[in-house]
Amino acid sequence: MATSNNFLRELVNKLGQECVSVDSLEKLVYAHDLAALPKSVKLLFNTTPDAIARPRSIEHVAEIIRLANEYKIPVIARGGATWGFGGTVPVRGGIILDLTGLNRVVNLDEKNGLLTVECGVVWEDIMRFLQETNWELPTYPSSALSSTVGGWAATGGIGYGSLKYGPFVKNVAKVTAVLPDGRVVVADDNSNPNLSQLFGSEGILCIFADLTLKLIPKSEVERPFMANFSNFANAVMAAQEVLRLTNPHSLVLRTFGFVRAKDYIESDTYFFGCFNGNRYDVDRQHLTLGSIVNRYRGYLTPEDEARREWEERFYTLRIKKWGPSILGNEFIIPVHKILDIVKYCWHLGNQAHLDVEVEVMFISRDKALMFQLFLCDERKSIRYLTEAAITKKVLDAAIKAGGKPYGYGLWNFPFMERAEPEKKRELKSMKGVLDPQNVLNPGKTIGAELMLGIPLPGKLYSTFMDGVWVLRKVV
Amino acid sequence: MLVLPKLQLEDVFACAQCGYCMKRCPVYYFLGWESTSPRGKIFALKEILGNDGRLDEQSIRKLGKSFSTRFFNCTFCGFCREVCHVEIDLLEIWSKVREILYDHEVVPESIIKLSETVKKSKNIYMMDNLSRTDWITYTGADVNFKDSAEVVYFVGCITSFSGRVQSIAQAVSSILNSANEDWTLLKDEWCCGHPLALSGAIREARVLALHNVEMIESTGAKKVVTGCPGCYLALKHEYPRLLGKKPRFEVLHSSQLLDTYITSGKLVVPKADITLTYHDPCELGRISGVIREPRVVLQSVTDTFIEPEYFGRESICCGSGGLLKAVNPSLADNLTQRRYGMLASTNAEVIVSACPACVQALAQTATAIQNGKRVIDISQLIAEQLGLM
Repeated sequence: MATSNNFLRELVNKLGQECVSVDSLEKLVYAHDLAALPKSVKLLFNTTPDAIARPRSIEHVAEIIRLANEYKIPVIARGGATWGFGGTVPVRGGIILDLTGLNRVVNLDEKNGLLTVECGVVWEDIMRFLQETNWELPTYPSSALSSTVGGWAATGGIGYGSLKYGPFVKNVAKVTAVLPDGRVVVADDNSNPNLSQLFGSEGILCIFADLTLKLIPKSEVERPFMANFSNFANAVMAAQEVLRLTNPHSLVLRTFGFVRAKDYIESDTYFFGCFNGNRYDVDRQHLTLGSIVNRYRGYLTPEDEARREWEERFYTLRIKKWGPSILGNEFIIPVHKILDIVKYCWHLGNQAHLDVEVEVMFISRDKALMFQLFLCDERKSIRYLTEAAITKKVLDAAIKAGGKPYGYGLWNFPFMERAEPEKKRELKSMKGVLDPQNVLNPGKTIGAELMLGIPLPGKLYSTFMDGVWVLRKVV
Repeated sequence: MLVLPKLQLEDVFACAQCGYCMKRCPVYYFLGWESTSPRGKIFALKEILGNDGRLDEQSIRKLGKSFSTRFFNCTFCGFCREVCHVEIDLLEIWSKVREILYDHEVVPESIIKLSETVKKSKNIYMMDNLSRTDWITYTGADVNFKDSAEVVYFVGCITSFSGRVQSIAQAVSSILNSANEDWTLLKDEWCCGHPLALSGAIREARVLALHNVEMIESTGAKKVVTGCPGCYLALKHEYPRLLGKKPRFEVLHSSQLLDTYITSGKLVVPKADITLTYHDPCELGRISGVIREPRVVLQSVTDTFIEPEYFGRESICCGSGGLLKAVNPSLADNLTQRRYGMLASTNAEVIVSACPACVQALAQTATAIQNGKRVIDISQLIAEQLGLM
């Protein structure tokens, strides 16, 4: 859909020339997120935006959305673009709202530990800001060095610290959101819509403008740990025991390729994490950890190596150096199914002659966020497409095992019906009420659209990917 | 037309698009558009280049201007490379792209002027190169020209010609004298070629490198000392690549020489009751790894040394690098003001750096505001403490 000149003129009038770009190189570089799009997929969607706007205030955001409604132009909100599910990729052009300019820390309520920030603030900046205070963040994403607060609210909201303090949504007091009709509302747990409904809605229900975060008092000590194992099953069992007997801030388990990227780790499987709190408590938990690791024939690394790994925690994708591309998926699965899914990943990897790597971030005693990936080369288009089918097979298995995708966006939308039918119905119904013109991030999450707004049936997509997988096995 | 060789092409595709570089890029901090960020530029390259790293001549000319604007709005501070998730040598890629743009004459007008100037006059100021040593008369420095010496002091264009920082040359000269060093200036020093390398004019930079190496080696000097991190980078790291061989001399930055003198007891610097902060020049600190030595020197002078926000390998660029001042002076000024603000907020009495370009830019900002701090080079500080200036 070509964006009308009148719309662009009005947009420039309202925001100013310096906040709007229709430059062709600019449009090119906003047409992606973390994941590399197979060339064949680009033929199906119009991933190039018609313009990019960089609002400077909430009022700007609301103005743009009101205008987009008037002209029926898609609006796609974009923060750090560090999500890999196509959430910020246009499917039929439209306006990309680059929200990184809304990056002010608005207020710190020192007494109650509440911090209000604009949506475009990068997590690392908050951490830096809080260094001078008595407070710290309970949870933050693994991409904290570049992802934004609003972006994490719109997507998964699970990361470091979620094991101890819960997901992001549980650590937010209230938000100011711009709804698809341009209304600016304040939402909390009791509002309508409430925080749980808006969080994780992947930019189709609202744009988060500012958020008030609940902080926790600064820990007296933070003690990272790392344990190496020669056997994956032992590492998983040890991790389960750690979850049962201690209360870590974070616990992450990694295999093979993740290890390959680190010159200071020798084993095939390891887990790392951190205890935080008062010194006595932390030391006691560390002792318990040591005995668990021994029992499962692992060994604790020296503290400096553990600290180094903890400091490296935001560098999950170092492995990509050997790709040059990666394909993967993230999903939440029951902890007792980890071994089954990992074995299945490896089985698929054997069939496709690929090393499938796994990272497991525990988010509670019974649930984990699993990140499965393998190296590939996007320049070999057909092969790349057939390899993408593996991620679909793994997700099928995860759902069958009682799991669900970590996000849907553009790539995982066909799985929502099976994984979370009730959530899909609720989102669909809210979308109908709040966004009847389908302006906000259309063609994502609850259903995909090809260019020109033609719906892409989920079943067709699934069947195609299954066919591609068969082709891969045969050829 | 081959734009990127295989190794760099692999790196372009290996970019994780994580955006860790964006947060650190001082240019993106002000411009804010994705295409001005390292991530955006890598993505644009990936989309435009063929899988073999090639691009036809017509496309280069068509894209040239929009690429040129982005790739020359960069200070070459190297922070993107420092934080890269997959350890891509981004500076190498930026250099290669500038080289292609230069070869196709699609660089900014100011870059063409600069490279013409250097080619013609052998310095960046279009001055008669014979006046390169006029600073000796202006400052009254005690300098002897010798046919052979143990040490060559390579002054560099900015220090030689720019009145504001000529006292750095005076300071280094007086320190060399004070340490009884057998040293000389080159009788015909040319620009080190670093500005040409940054312009993408590699062939022209090679001519300068060849001349300077010949001049230095003709003195039989075993060491070359320079106070300019750009010259240091050129002499130490760029010359071996440009000439295909390692020159027969060791290259030292003045801060390294000072560290050696002070640590060995050759120079005893009296302590001062003064609060200092230090700005790491990007080309000296992050890119060349000279971080410890200036601190050893400063801590020998004062007990109250304060690190600013972002220091060492994480130092933020002051806007003087990458020829940004020539391409986009107002943006460069913004960068300087931001960095000056960080340094001033330490409440140190004096801001010290180890680069004539950084000192010049920061001092200009300081003089433009009320109660601006004193900004000096590390060699000036030591020379003053020793009573040599």
